[in-house]
Amino acid sequence: EGCKPLAALLSGIAQAVYHGNADITEELLRGQLYPEATPEEFRALRAKMGGLLQSIASADMDLNQLEAFLTAQTKKQGGITSDQAAVIAKFWKNHRIKIHESLINQSRWDNVLKNMNWRVDLKSQSRHIDQINTPVAIVEMELGKNGQESEFLCLEFDEAKVSQMLKKLSEIEESMTSL
Amino acid sequence: AADKINLIPQDFFAELCEQIIQHLNHKISGVNTAELCQRIQTSGIEINVGDLAKIVNVVSFLFSTAARNNLSTEELVTTLGNAVSTLPKHAVQVIRHVWNEQGKSISVSEDARNTATVGQFVDIKWKLGVAMSSDTCRSLKYPYVTVTLKVADPSGQITDKTFEMTIPQFKNFFRQFKEMAAVLETV
Repeated sequence: EGCKPLAALLSGIAQAVYHGNADITEELLRGQLYPEATPEEFRALRAKMGGLLQSIASADMDLNQLEAFLTAQTKKQGGITSDQAAVIAKFWKNHRIKIHESLINQSRWDNVLKNMNWRVDLKSQSRHIDQINTPVAIVEMELGKNGQESEFLCLEFDEAKVSQMLKKLSEIEESMTSL
Repeated sequence: AADKINLIPQDFFAELCEQIIQHLNHKISGVNTAELCQRIQTSGIEINVGDLAKIVNVVSFLFSTAARNNLSTEELVTTLGNAVSTLPKHAVQVIRHVWNEQGKSISVSEDARNTATVGQFVDIKWKLGVAMSSDTCRSLKYPYVTVTLKVADPSGQITDKTFEMTIPQFKNFFRQFKEMAAVLETV
């Protein structure tokens, strides 16, 4: 039970569970990483490692929590070796942010702002004479739920409306300082 | 949609076309589809807002295309006849009349096309939240901003559009509007 296959196994589990890669099957992992293990042995190993990773990811453990957790695991009956603990620790340090981001995305079910573009036009006609030759910003926002088709919202803002928007956005920024 | 046009009495259809042309001429902010539908229904005609809206879109598209291609009244009627053979005679008469009177004044610029698809920003509501926990992660702790934009679509209808932004996304959103303000000032 060397270190390299375990690191790769954790990678494979993360790919399948957190990054939605459906091609990473149990058979694939066993064949590539633990070809000498029987399917039952491998299943048990995968379940154990997957369970540990899930606990760590669910709690979004920092280094202190991680150390305490892994140490406890090495002392348990049927737990892990200190070599395995080291591999798991290294893996989490390297992948924590990406896995956490993926978990965040999994819980964003409402419309998100996917993209935004804008340009400034010179209005050459209008129903109000006083708007002739005034600049307006045309903003295109791509909205949609994760993994679903986008809706494109196209809005016009004159200088006053942009000011109105900026005022509200400042309020939001201010409220963020309490975070 | 063409067969539904059959249902609309001539005077209502004339009013519809008038509103469409006035909207294309930027004299009114939009076609009051819902209100018009109500009155048509009150007069005993069975038509729903969805169908009427489709008819408005079709006629609007017809007029704006004709404007872009500088069609004369006869050309418009011919094109119409080729495209829609089932149009009732009174509808063709209305279209001919409305186009004769006001068709030439529809502007053909890029702006006219944009105005047809661009909405107006009216207002914004917001809230700042922190997602604490979820079924897949007990310690999410991620802050996000939820924003609801009040928007007037080209037909004048006001709707709400709601979406979420992460903090980095919000900062980018804010920055873009600051850039917009800077550009608007210098143009």
